[in-house]
Parts: sequence; C-alpha cells; structure tokens
Amino acid sequence: MELECRFFATYREAVGQKELTRTIDDETTVGDVLAALEAEYEGLEGQLLEDGVIRPQLSVLKNGRDVTHMAGVETGLEDGDRLSVFPPVAGG
Amino acid sequence: MSDLRLDATQLDRYSRHVIMDEVGPEGQKRLLEGSVLVVGAGGLGSPAIQYLAAAGVGHLGIVDDDVVERSNLQRQIVHGDDDVGRPKVESAADYVHRLNPDVSVEIYETRLTPENVDELAGGYDVVLDASDNFATRYLLNDYCVLSGTALSHGAIYRFEGQVTTIPNREGSDGPCYRCIFPEAPEPGTVPDCATTGVLGVLPGTVGCIQATEVVKLLLEQGDVLEGRLLLYDAMDMSFETVELQHNPNCPVCGDQPAIDSVGDVSYEHTCTIDAD
Repeated sequence: MELECRFFATYREAVGQKELTRTIDDETTVGDVLAALEAEYEGLEGQLLEDGVIRPQLSVLKNGRDVTHMAGVETGLEDGDRLSVFPPVAGG
Repeated sequence: MSDLRLDATQLDRYSRHVIMDEVGPEGQKRLLEGSVLVVGAGGLGSPAIQYLAAAGVGHLGIVDDDVVERSNLQRQIVHGDDDVGRPKVESAADYVHRLNPDVSVEIYETRLTPENVDELAGGYDVVLDASDNFATRYLLNDYCVLSGTALSHGAIYRFEGQVTTIPNREGSDGPCYRCIFPEAPEPGTVPDCATTGVLGVLPGTVGCIQATEVVKLLLEQGDVLEGRLLLYDAMDMSFETVELQHNPNCPVCGDQPAIDSVGDVSYEHTCTIDAD
C-alpha cells in the first residue's frame, strides 16, 4: 500500500522535496516510517525520533491530525494515508 | 461597553465598517476601546500594525529592541528609507500617528523577558506575536496561557507561514503553542531570515491574517483559528488548516503543568524548565 509523506520548512529542505510516496506493508507504523526517513536522508538524522518517540520539537500529522493524540509512533497506517511532518518556525 | 460615541469624522473614517451588521457602531466602539500589544515591528508586525491602526484599534503597544536596517525594507513596510538607523518602535509609531489620530501608541524599545513581560503585556486585550525568535514566542505563549490573555501566533520561513490563534478564554480547553511543539528547537537548528532569506511579501500575507484574527477577537465575531494551524505555502499558493488538540501532557496548559510561572523556564535554550 502507498503512503504520502509531506514535509514543511527545514524538513522540506532536508528531503529536497515537498512530497514523496512510499510503499509500505500492513504492519508499518508511523515510527517505522520516521525511522526509515531518518536513515534515508542525512539531514533528518536524529531530527524526528528520540529514544523511540517523536521529538518534542516537531509535529507529525496523519491525515491532518497529530499522531500524539492517536498512538504516537505506534500509530498504524492505511493505504492512501498522508503523513505531514513539520517543525515550528520562528521568523517574523 | 462605555458610552464612547463615534463623532462625525469617525463615522466617515470607519463608514465601511459601520455599515456592516457584523461590525456596526457597537463593533467599531469595541475596536476603538480595544488594546493590542504587537511584539515585533518587523515583517509580521508591519502589516499587522498598519491594519490594526487603520481599523481604529484604539491603543497599540509596540515592542522591539532593534533599529531599522536597509535589508529590512524589502518586507518591513512600516519603515521607510529615511528610517534606517532609527529604533523600529519609533518609526512604527510615526506611521500610526500619520495614519490614524484615533490610535494611541505606547512604545517599548526593549526585548521581552520573563522579568518584564507582565509589566509590558499586562492589561492588553490581545497580544500579537510578530517576533522572530523562539525564546520570545515560548515566553509569550506561556505568559498568555497563565494570564488568560488572547494570543495571535504567526511565524514565517522562506516561502511558508504558520498561523494559529489562542484565545485563552476562561474555561477554554483549546490547545496552546506548546501543545503542538512542547519544546523549542535547539538554538541554531532552525535558521533565521538573515541566513535563509524570506520572500518579502510572505510576512505581509501572514501578518494580515494575524490582524484579521485580532480584529475578530476584539469584535467577538466569526470563527478564529482556535484549535487549527493554518499552513500557508506561497510557492504553491496553498492554504491548509490542520486540526490541533489540547495536549493533556502540555507543560503549561496540561493536566499537571510543570510551568506555573514564566520565571520557571529558561527561554534562551529550548524553553524548558530543566534547560541548562
């Protein structure tokens, strides 16, 4: 099944694009995807996960809702889901 | 509501407001009696100050400790070429005085700190965060949550903007900024405008959205971005709102908050209690 990942601000620069699509299996969790992204993109290394949980300096949304309010890194995924990853920004 | 009445000049000046049922003379009086603290007179603060002053928000406070630099003028439209080298608060106040004599301005040429935030922000109806650093943003969030002050949050990065509104009404369980981002990124990990650049018109759009939210808060009209984060992408020309929820583990507004005073927090690092 397919998962759409979207990146904002600094994460967009680290990945080099705004969106990418990943093929995942039924058992894949949000944590698995974030770990795979960290492994794949040097600029994301250590930026998304800390001690197995999502770092407090970013927000990860599944279909527009924060996964913190679901099952965090254990949140399951379905075909066509959209994962959005964004940091706070401070510019004014 | 006091018995403040609109005089003939004001009825003329604000006629496009007054004619609408959603504003009317009562709403215009609310604006004229309203007070807003704008923190930052830069890219976001410039359009916000302009539109709040034009709308007749009666009292504006402006906080900024910077002077105008020529590289600001590509986006900080409240300042002009002749203002280079002047304190931003002074040139912003001059702009307001030229635009609308109904508006009184208090300027604070200083940086917001845990020690002065209550003295500066206390008593304002709404705080508009137009600052350019995480320390000020987390300080304002915490202060506004703890004091029950409405807060408009806006921030920009290159071609992108983020906006949300935190009314902090009594009894409200809406999310605050820390519900979304419990801690600030480590210093130096998110580059600033000077390093990355910023599309000049971007803060115009975002600051105007913030001003719109503040006017609605003062009017008590419409639906503000409470519980929603607006993500604006100037390159795609796309606006997306994502749902935000109150976080029971939030360090400042959660069920067992660790922060009960802005004095508890070290704002110069990751804005946490235990920062060293």
